[in-house]
Amino acid sequence: MNLRRHIALTRAGIMESLQYRLGTAVTLFANLIYLVLVYFLWRAIYDSAGTDVVNGMTFTDTMIYLILATALFNFLEMFVVWDMSRSIQSGKIILDLLKPMKFRSYTFWSYSGSHVVLFTLTFIPTFIVVMIVTHGAIPMGINLLYFVVATVLALIVNFSMEMIVATICLYTESTWGINIVKETIVLLLSGASIPLAFFPETFRKIVGFLPFRAVYDIPLTILLEKNGSDTLEGLLPMFGLQLAWCIILTVTGVLFWNHSVRKITVNGG
Amino acid sequence: MSETTLTKQKTRRGFGFYLRIYKKILVQDLKSKMSYRADFVISTFGMIMTNLSGFVTFLILFKNFPSINGWDYYHMLFLYGFSLVALTPVQCFFDNNWNLRFQVQSGDFIKYCFRPINVFFYFMSEVFDVKGLGQFAFGIGTLVYAWIHIGIPVTPLVIAKLVLFLLTASLFMIAIMNAAAATCFWIVGSGYVMVIMFRFKDFAKYPSNIFHGVFRILFTFVIPIAFVAYYPSLAILETDNIPVLTWCAPAIGVLFFYLSYKFWMLGVSRYDFTGS
Repeated sequence: MNLRRHIALTRAGIMESLQYRLGTAVTLFANLIYLVLVYFLWRAIYDSAGTDVVNGMTFTDTMIYLILATALFNFLEMFVVWDMSRSIQSGKIILDLLKPMKFRSYTFWSYSGSHVVLFTLTFIPTFIVVMIVTHGAIPMGINLLYFVVATVLALIVNFSMEMIVATICLYTESTWGINIVKETIVLLLSGASIPLAFFPETFRKIVGFLPFRAVYDIPLTILLEKNGSDTLEGLLPMFGLQLAWCIILTVTGVLFWNHSVRKITVNGG
Repeated sequence: MSETTLTKQKTRRGFGFYLRIYKKILVQDLKSKMSYRADFVISTFGMIMTNLSGFVTFLILFKNFPSINGWDYYHMLFLYGFSLVALTPVQCFFDNNWNLRFQVQSGDFIKYCFRPINVFFYFMSEVFDVKGLGQFAFGIGTLVYAWIHIGIPVTPLVIAKLVLFLLTASLFMIAIMNAAAATCFWIVGSGYVMVIMFRFKDFAKYPSNIFHGVFRILFTFVIPIAFVAYYPSLAILETDNIPVLTWCAPAIGVLFFYLSYKFWMLGVSRYDFTGS
């Protein structure tokens, strides 16, 4: 198998993202400040509420959920859309298309390196800090393993969505617009800005079937052992939803891409 | 002799001169934008989507919680609308800051230094971001809606105060983005600084008395997001015991803008040509 090729791309990605050390350090620091802002906001919200538990979420639950959602966001954030539009403009995309590898898997594996770096540098430290500060509010056990599986599935769902949006950009020449629409919808409906537990009942039911939930809400719910995810009956539907969307989005994305790639017009190159 | 004519020319270049130039450059920019009509429609739609999602966030929050730190739903909406309007100038007129680092890195920036007009002005005038107008409309709508429900009297004095403090508030975000963009003169690939600052602005729509200690000072005087909506809007929402910082806001805003401009120009002065 051509596993060696994939690993080579991962290694190149790791080296590339370690090049920008100052940027990574500043971003890490800024994230900490951002989390302090989130803390103050929700502290004020819960203080004004008068009760400790709102919709089954305590202040600590909400904080852990939102902090880890931010950490996941930083780790899952991809710039496929931007990179694609830039390489179309410069003509570089032709070279990528000529590579002896499917464009889709080439893109996926080139990003895998930065995912590895960001997971180690942002998610794990955040996780450890949260664990220490909350004195073990995160259950430690088999759920960690499930969480890793769910995160990998989330990564694939996220990548598939990115690829579909990037393909749309081949037609519209509006990178900023398409990207902001995608980002807004994903952040709101995935529970990254407000936990899904706070959503009104019907709204939450609808959102429960959409793919966005598979990116942030499901991994975090599994990690925190909420909504019965500590039992097999609770766990299976979540993995099922993730897996179903993985397949649907991947197939859609591949078909859409194969159809559109013939339409690319590149100046010069 | 040449020096005296130069200074004379400079003094003659007043506000009218720059306004005329701005109009000319603006028309060129709009013409080139018109050739990407789909982009314009989608970008405006995207802008409205972000604002809408902010609105939905509020709705969901207030479904679960009656108030935040004594601020009820309509007061919070007022603050949100106020921040959207105050963020319009930075979006519309200073959007070219986002391109600064690419231009500096590629060396294209040098073209701005060769014109006999202010570099900062020339650079900013090149881009007028039309999609900011969608945000403006949304902000005004939210503001009016909240205004009616709170029942603030409409008098010429209140309107004058509103305009003055909206302008004041907009200066702060412009200053933040100017300073953030100018870091690229010193640090290669400093785009993340702008991204971070742009994320902090999401917290402008909350009453900043929820912050405590060091962070309150940090977000009032260092990264002044507390001035983007909270302090200026108190001039209209509160009838008595308006904090001193509200009254000082216009002066502080001008100061921040001036400092960010000086910092930006300092970057220009130490800009090395790439040589190509």
